[in-house]
Amino acid sequence: MVTVVIETTGERVEFRHLNTVTQLLGKLKLKQCDVLVIQEGELLTPDRKISHGSEVRVRHVVSRG
Amino acid sequence: MKCRRCGERAQVALPSHHTGFCGPCFETYFLRQVERGIHDHRQFAKEDRVLLAVSGGKDSLGLLLAMKELGYSVTALHIDLDIPVSSRNARSIVEAFCQAHGVDCHILETAGKGLSVPEVKKRVNRPICSVCGKIKRHWFNRFAYENGYDVLATGHNLDDEVARLFANTLRWDQAYLAGQGPTMAAEGKFVKKVKPLCRLTEYETAVWCFLKGIDHVLAACPYSGGASFTGHKKLLATLEETSPGAKMQFYENFLRNGKPAFEALKKSAPALKDCGRCGYPTSQDVCGVCRIKEQLEG
Repeated sequence: MVTVVIETTGERVEFRHLNTVTQLLGKLKLKQCDVLVIQEGELLTPDRKISHGSEVRVRHVVSRG
Repeated sequence: MKCRRCGERAQVALPSHHTGFCGPCFETYFLRQVERGIHDHRQFAKEDRVLLAVSGGKDSLGLLLAMKELGYSVTALHIDLDIPVSSRNARSIVEAFCQAHGVDCHILETAGKGLSVPEVKKRVNRPICSVCGKIKRHWFNRFAYENGYDVLATGHNLDDEVARLFANTLRWDQAYLAGQGPTMAAEGKFVKKVKPLCRLTEYETAVWCFLKGIDHVLAACPYSGGASFTGHKKLLATLEETSPGAKMQFYENFLRNGKPAFEALKKSAPALKDCGRCGYPTSQDVCGVCRIKEQLEG
């Protein structure tokens, strides 16, 4: 299980099967440069694996006024 | 993915440059891009006094730190719009940042100028983002001019510039296309205006802020729903995904090939005159901001 926290809304989403950041972006329908993907204070590139049991934070980068 | 410079594990992938960087090498890359924007577009030099318009968002605070690290003489100006909750939050973030980094910071309250933005929203029947932008631009320029700054800088990034160029092109707005760019020369009571982040995307600025631990405003302005540039940015992001580097190419080719043609057309535009109320440049007898004030006073 991987827990994903969407920072903009505070929403928490759980995924049973998630291997890479690219897969996560696909499930959330996001483009690579739409968000920062953060794990344990570090940014993850799309090719990085997400380990089972971890928590990942997603921060949107587009200014909304 | 490995960092292109040092071979360590990358934290940042940049498809438009076909590359990736680790944290420290990305910081070097970011500062070099800011420096290159300033240098290539002849924006300012180390001896110039630069006033930076700071909203509290990632772009302006990220630029403030970059300019400080690059050794420029920069002072922050934050405009408090008097919007409930959001203005207080933004102001406290700016003040805390400037105090922590030893940056001189001025706060200008629009309410004290008879232009509280919630009041303006109630009384003026026009899109509030456009009116608010007009008020901010007027006061940023006026403050810079009256306090003797050489340059007024803003945190507009490549995405902002490309979205604006796209909107101007959709309308083929000759005057706006002639005036758009990362450097606008001083003219009369208009101070020189520059955009040092013109080579960097929102994503890159967000990465810089994350790596530097910059606490910035995350919430959207409560009045900003439906701003048209957000829709344009989504379209352009889709284009960039399929054609990495397209945004930079669109913007740089416009500056090289399109802008000079529109500037030539602009020479026949009516000259600016002084506003009958505040004395600042306008194409009409009374400037847009003074007309808004008249509406509020009336």
